[in-house]
Amino acid sequence: MRLTEEEIRALTLSAMEQLGERATPEAVKKIVAASAAELESKPDFEKSTKSSGGRIILTSFGMNAPGVVAAITTGLAKLSCNIEDISQTLMGGYFTMIMVVDISGSAKELDEIQTEMNKIAEELKVKIYIQHEEIFNKMHRI
Amino acid sequence: MNYEFTEILETIKMTEIEHFDIRTVTLGISLRDCVDRNIEITKERIYDKILKYGKNHVKYAREIEHKYGISIANKRVSITPISIPFDRFAEDDFVEIAKTLDKVAEEIGIDYIAGFSALVQKGFTNGEREMIKAIPRALSETKRVCSSVNIGSTKAGINMDAVKMMSDAIKKTAELTKDRDSIGCAKLVVFCNVPEDNPFVAGAFHGVSEPEIVLNVGISGPGVVLDAIKSAGNVDLQQLSEVIKKTVFKITRAGELMGRKVAEMHGVPFGIVDISLAPTPAPGDSIADILKAMGVEDVGAPGTTAALAMLNDAVKKAGLMASSSVGGMSGAFIPVSEDQGMIDAAIKGHLTIEKLEAMTAVCSVGLDMIAVPGDTTSETIAGIIADESAIGIINDKTTAVRIIPAHGKKVGETVNYGGLLGVAPVMPVSKLRSDAFILRGGRIPAPTRSLTN
Repeated sequence: MRLTEEEIRALTLSAMEQLGERATPEAVKKIVAASAAELESKPDFEKSTKSSGGRIILTSFGMNAPGVVAAITTGLAKLSCNIEDISQTLMGGYFTMIMVVDISGSAKELDEIQTEMNKIAEELKVKIYIQHEEIFNKMHRI
Repeated sequence: MNYEFTEILETIKMTEIEHFDIRTVTLGISLRDCVDRNIEITKERIYDKILKYGKNHVKYAREIEHKYGISIANKRVSITPISIPFDRFAEDDFVEIAKTLDKVAEEIGIDYIAGFSALVQKGFTNGEREMIKAIPRALSETKRVCSSVNIGSTKAGINMDAVKMMSDAIKKTAELTKDRDSIGCAKLVVFCNVPEDNPFVAGAFHGVSEPEIVLNVGISGPGVVLDAIKSAGNVDLQQLSEVIKKTVFKITRAGELMGRKVAEMHGVPFGIVDISLAPTPAPGDSIADILKAMGVEDVGAPGTTAALAMLNDAVKKAGLMASSSVGGMSGAFIPVSEDQGMIDAAIKGHLTIEKLEAMTAVCSVGLDMIAVPGDTTSETIAGIIADESAIGIINDKTTAVRIIPAHGKKVGETVNYGGLLGVAPVMPVSKLRSDAFILRGGRIPAPTRSLTN
């Protein structure tokens, strides 16, 4: 992490305060240089940015084949995702399924769930889209 | 289920088939505290500040893309118009600042940083003159820096000395970047009535009344509107306006949500959603195709301006209903090179600069990404800028000129930049001259419309 000028100034002031009477330009410089080097060698502070939780809408399209629903629901169960609603239909021979899934109980983040589901999609030769529920709420509800 | 099958499928169709994406999330950063009498310290402060706030910009935007299943095409940064904090510096220093901006943009992984800008509608400071002189070199010696200069406003009139300086800068930039089809000019916009919160690069900057840091979002979606119009079939124009409004309402809501979430991750305030329909050269993602779907044979046919006016107005009405944070340009963009339908119309000769000028009176921005012959004189370019600005000040709207006098090229040839900047056919320009008018200099006074108090 590169220190900003303000941070270096704050560091200098606190060094001077601690040294009190003994503060000479050389002593302050030495301490500031040492602490700056230590701070700069540390990796950047990364705040936790994961924003999962809530409900997702899982949509799956593909040729109608045995075991599609079972594979997807088993996959979700393994990830501790709770299926709240499920609706399916056949559209011209294509199987279409939409699920509302609560992922708050899952230890996995949304992107990890997407990765797992993509694996299942590849095996079953279907398409699976996973999107957070908020987007549908914003687009289709006033 | 809370949602209808058709609603869910509609959203997926928009994102998967109709190219609905969020065009840009733009992080605005104030650089007003970065000045020092020493240019080296100034450069360091600029670098550190942009790095500090911008280093996670791309990462956060990607996470939001995955969460909602909608892609964000561009992640960009805008900064305080650099002539304001760094007014004390000279031409060479401004080139150095541009290089610093280029370096930090590369470091944080963004393709463009915008705000190498000045606001000179009423007059110049010494620093602003130096900064404008630095533009050709700044754009030819960097890859990621974009520049814009505001030369007129309804309140101030048109600074014709600035118009001339900018047309000279455009010619010079074209020459310095002649090896790459004069690409420097694609990163240089001359504005009238510029908005201070526009997230769309190249004309973006972080206005002086903006907070320290802000996140603005620009939506897109011509493809979605096009498909909605096509599936509406043969309905009358009021019904067609309804169709457009419903579609734009949805994409604005999605855009605002995505923007707010990216801002939340940054921990910075959300600014505005710019509801402009912005095309890309991808097939179907075209404003020209929308106009054709509305019923004009090709862009440039009589009726084009009326169709565009209606489209632009419907977009605004829907956007204002969908969000309380509408800002920026918020209209329909009609760049030539970035829209396949416009490119085709220009190649066929259906679309002329004169017709484009009329179209810019009823939609956002102006003569955008048009290539003209390399031997077009600086005075003629100044005349084009002055005409466009006059439309702006009289109609109280933003207008802009992003013109490429393609070095060494003639009508019939093309410039090709690839990617989002696309391909521009060199369009013919009137050979009549207005040098005597341009060279009078001075300022076109503010119109009566400025006296609104």
